Amino acid sequence: MAYLEMIDIVKRYPGVLANDHVDLAVERGEIHAVMGENGAGKSTLMSILYGLQSPDEGYIRFKGTTLLLQSPLDAIAQGIGMVHQAFNLFESLSVWENIVYRREPRRGIFVDGARARREVEELARRHGLPIDPQARVASLPVGVRQRLEILKALYRDAQVLILDEPTAVLTPAEVTTLFTVMKSLAAAGCTILLVTHKLNEVMAVSDRITVLRNGRVAERLVTAATNPAQIVRAMTGQQITLPSAKRPREPGAVLLEAHALVVEQQGRRVVDGVSLQIRGGEIVGIAGVAGNGQSELIEALMGLTAVAQGFVRVAGRDLTRGSVTERRAGGLSYIAEDRARTASAATASAIDNLAMGFHRAPPLARRGLLRPAAMRDWARGLIDRFDIKIASPETAVSTLSGGNLQKIVTARELAHNSPVLIAEQPTRGVDVGAIAFIHGELLKERERGHGILLVSAELSEILELADRILVMYEGRIVAEFARAAADERTLGLYMAGGSRA
Amino acid sequence: MTVTAIRTHLTRRLGPLLPILGAVAVGFGVCGLIALWVGLRPSLMFTELIKGAVEGPQFFETVARAVPLAGMTLAAAIPLRAGIVNLGADGQLALGGCAAAVVALYLPAPDLVRLGAALVAGMTIGALYAAVAAAGEIFAGVPLLLSTWLLTYPAKGLCGYLVRTPLRDPTTAWPSTARIAVGARLGALIPGTPINQGFLIVVLVAVAVIFIDRRSSIGFELRLRGLNERFARYGGVALDRQTLGVMLASGAIAGLIGAIMVLGSQFRYTDGALTAPQYSWSGTLAALLAGGEPLGSVIAALLFAALQTGGFAMERSVEIPRVLTMVLQSVIILFLAMRGAIWRRS
Repeated sequence: MAYLEMIDIVKRYPGVLANDHVDLAVERGEIHAVMGENGAGKSTLMSILYGLQSPDEGYIRFKGTTLLLQSPLDAIAQGIGMVHQAFNLFESLSVWENIVYRREPRRGIFVDGARARREVEELARRHGLPIDPQARVASLPVGVRQRLEILKALYRDAQVLILDEPTAVLTPAEVTTLFTVMKSLAAAGCTILLVTHKLNEVMAVSDRITVLRNGRVAERLVTAATNPAQIVRAMTGQQITLPSAKRPREPGAVLLEAHALVVEQQGRRVVDGVSLQIRGGEIVGIAGVAGNGQSELIEALMGLTAVAQGFVRVAGRDLTRGSVTERRAGGLSYIAEDRARTASAATASAIDNLAMGFHRAPPLARRGLLRPAAMRDWARGLIDRFDIKIASPETAVSTLSGGNLQKIVTARELAHNSPVLIAEQPTRGVDVGAIAFIHGELLKERERGHGILLVSAELSEILELADRILVMYEGRIVAEFARAAADERTLGLYMAGGSRA
Repeated sequence: MTVTAIRTHLTRRLGPLLPILGAVAVGFGVCGLIALWVGLRPSLMFTELIKGAVEGPQFFETVARAVPLAGMTLAAAIPLRAGIVNLGADGQLALGGCAAAVVALYLPAPDLVRLGAALVAGMTIGALYAAVAAAGEIFAGVPLLLSTWLLTYPAKGLCGYLVRTPLRDPTTAWPSTARIAVGARLGALIPGTPINQGFLIVVLVAVAVIFIDRRSSIGFELRLRGLNERFARYGGVALDRQTLGVMLASGAIAGLIGAIMVLGSQFRYTDGALTAPQYSWSGTLAALLAGGEPLGSVIAALLFAALQTGGFAMERSVEIPRVLTMVLQSVIILFLAMRGAIWRRS
């Protein structure tokens, strides 16, 4: 009998069978990856293990006894801890206060601060997770906050640790550190469940893999005896053809230019003197850890936020003060980072979502009046061309999966056939099949001689697609590389703000 | 078609209407319970209410009331469609009525020209006054919710001053203007009833608003802004220009209704007479009931007009206070506000 078992788990949501008789078996001290595309059921399975959801059928056995988890408090009491993608920390409190919260060592009615700090120091040393117990959380970088979350779980004697997409917000160097920590924790007998969709991470750190697809276990693999292609096949149930390698291409004229751009928010320069040029037929990637001014830069380029200094030119025309409408008309199209909140209207139909921006001129409108039949045909055409899985063009896009919604957004923006495309996190949270498709479309844009500005938190995406790479850190472009001169390590160094060597 | 197919079809067709019908049913239920509690027979109350709304000449009363109410509903629905609230319709209504009275009384021109000019004047001043609030938001960041509401008071105050001093008709006891000449009035549409030609104007306006909402690029932008303003901005909708346009249209309709009430039924501008029936308030509720969709808003306005006329009649005939009909309207809106939560869960 395995150390931790989830047996025959079934969880139904209205209209969806999220977990369909799932079995998961994990040994003590193992790093076990739980993989699957969005909606495959991995989040549901983990929230059942952490007591956030109760299963409709099935049960959990841990160290030979059956667990009945009513809430995360029960799970923690049993030694199961979880680090979520979004951290739950008190930013204004110190590290040790966050760690001991609700389990404070006491003296009478007072918190025994000295003892708490000592315990935290001892815990950090024992697990090889250096941290300053006195530091304010607000001042800590993301990687350290994550370490703090792990310490929080360990302080509550977690023997099983669930890490949900732990590398999404980390720099490559932080990822390496995290993997070292995971391995040493596992060596010390801690069991780790790693929820992720990143193949290279799974290959690098896990011992075994359970792949979920459509709520069922698609495959159980031993990492040492498998390869990425096999995992992708298990995740998608099909052979994915990765986009063909791109041909070298001589870049054309400058299509988008920003010079010494400054954006201020609450008196802070969130974009601090950024200059860049995008030429026809090239993909320029902006690498950087999320929150270093990339979003604000893009919003300034698109006219969604005010520019304090500097200028923006599209195809030679100064549009620094231009509205979004003028910039779009001037030759920009834009795949926004947040597809659900910005780049679509959830309750509107696919017809309406795909018509946005095309609704003023023929063929979708004539003399200010819409042409419903043309709008429908237009939506049909794009849905077919991008192979979007949707019940009908009239269906609200809120019913779509992340990948299909992203395809709606991509389809609409590419349909503009604009000289410049700004693609912000174009594949975040999207399944493997849609990623391959969207990457292929971006490369086709490049072949057409259009310029593309690609912002991504995924270094692998930038390295795969970009011709030139800019690294953004604290609102500035701190480095620029030709693709051939860039590697993950060097980029990672600049992303972390390190070394100007 | 199988049963499930029929059911899916019905849900898609009637889906958006179900919560509204549900809220209306609950509203009537609650009022029935209140009636029982104070010792009245709900059945008596409801028959008197319905008879008072549609029986005999009461039907024409309802239609006459529905004209300004539907107009003010459209004035509220247009901004609401884009997620904007115009709380200043009363001010625009008063200014429109007052301006129409002044033009109809003092413009040296033939009767018909005076009538036309008075209608245009009412629309124009209502539109311009609403545009002041829009400009405040666009250029100075003053929220429309606040500015439209606060600008009501200077507008009402100005009209009140005008009819108390320079425009005062000394032959009446009220603060009001002189009576408008018969030729410059909107004539009766059906003789012997309170329905005047203003009815036709409002029908035209309603048809135009519904058509623009459904079939034009402007309507598309309005609707999508209402569904997700960030998306509209991202997609290139010029939000500031749209805000201005929406307020101009809303204010124009409110001003026009003021003019119609003055030229069609009151024949003079009397201080407070246009705003006393609280058409702008009922109109806002009716528009909310339909989420700003213009056809639904007009239907809700008709329902409210019937409830209100029925309420008056009920009060007269069986001495049930008509405040119950206000309770009914409020309960409907409150339950509708809950629909999101209730219907999403089921």
